[in-house]
Amino acid sequence: MDVFTLFLWVITGIAFVISIVKDKKKTFNSMKMARGMMKSMIGQIIGILFLIGLILTFIPPEIIKEYLGKSNTLLSTIIAAVVGSITLIPPFVAFPLVGSFVDFGVSIVPAVAFLTTLTMVGVVTFSLEKQEFGYKFTLVRNSLSFVFAILISLVMGAII
Amino acid sequence: MSIINHIKRNKLLLIVGAIYLALVVFKTDKAILSFKNSSYYIIEMLQIMPVIFILTSLIEAWVPRKVIMNSFGESSGKKGAIISFLLGSISAGPIYAAFPVCKMLLKKGARISNIVIILSTWAVIKVPMLANEAKFLGPKFMAVRWVLTTISIFIMAYLVSKIVSMDTIPVKERNEHNNDTLRFLNKAKRGELYMKGHVDKDTCIGCGLCPAVCPEIFEMDDDGKAIAKGIEIPDNVVGSAKEAEEQCPVDAIKVQ
Repeated sequence: MDVFTLFLWVITGIAFVISIVKDKKKTFNSMKMARGMMKSMIGQIIGILFLIGLILTFIPPEIIKEYLGKSNTLLSTIIAAVVGSITLIPPFVAFPLVGSFVDFGVSIVPAVAFLTTLTMVGVVTFSLEKQEFGYKFTLVRNSLSFVFAILISLVMGAII
Repeated sequence: MSIINHIKRNKLLLIVGAIYLALVVFKTDKAILSFKNSSYYIIEMLQIMPVIFILTSLIEAWVPRKVIMNSFGESSGKKGAIISFLLGSISAGPIYAAFPVCKMLLKKGARISNIVIILSTWAVIKVPMLANEAKFLGPKFMAVRWVLTTISIFIMAYLVSKIVSMDTIPVKERNEHNNDTLRFLNKAKRGELYMKGHVDKDTCIGCGLCPAVCPEIFEMDDDGKAIAKGIEIPDNVVGSAKEAEEQCPVDAIKVQ
């Protein structure tokens, strides 16, 4: 276990002890909630993780790198941003997937664009948002989020 | 019905499982290789997943979101923006769970810019998620993206509030909803019926929206699905219970 994960466990452990001392029932209920959340997501998570293994086996990293890494960063970034806007997978599952792509050489610029639009732009939830906040608000917010996602990814590509 | 839903929910896992099974039969070496390739990510995930869910639940249990929301109406300017940012960051659940919360704040007089801040931070910035991101993409990647995203959110909030005027946002309740609630309320008062909530577990996707809208009646059960407390719905809660019924993305809730 790396230092970072260990640190997180220690922090959570301390928070847990404080919580149990303060209110046993509340802590117990929140653990039930944690278990429920994990149960509802575990299938998807395991599915994605094993899918990564398949991708790595059948599509050699060199090929992915050639198509997604070097070819045309701007184009692949825009495609990644569009894919991120229309997909509805939990970001929790998206991080290992994107991480594996970056590990074998895909440029981080499209990776960032995908991660950012995945959470901020919602094409599927557009009608729901429109119903609550009106057409103009929803259109402006989602378009701005899309543009900023691409800006963020380009700036990150320059910094890292 | 329940089996079909099980299959639907675990579609990905079943497809991937089937591919592995076929590989074991026809190309065992490829199956082993794929499994080995996955094992690194599985081990990493097992180390961090429990801690992230536990932390999320502890935050949800202890942060007084209601108190923050109640003090919202009075705060404006910089303070309002910061509170919005915190409110979004500490909340669990998908972005559509934020819609009814924001709608309520709008009715209380929150600014458009603050609503944009809440929606965006709710979607992107979460402590446990940041931990997950740092794990799989590196702490530097996470930190830089966090800073850039935070800056973007504040710029976007400003831009949206300049472009979108308040009167394009439907703040009024839909009438039929109101009438519906009133009718039930009157009946309940006359003692003709009392109202209860009901969640169809086979349909529920466990999004967490209904306990966010109406925590008095709905809660999340052990299996990650929502459940209605088996109590009579008090008059002052009927409105929000109805709201939860209407908001449910898969229409799994009946309040009657």
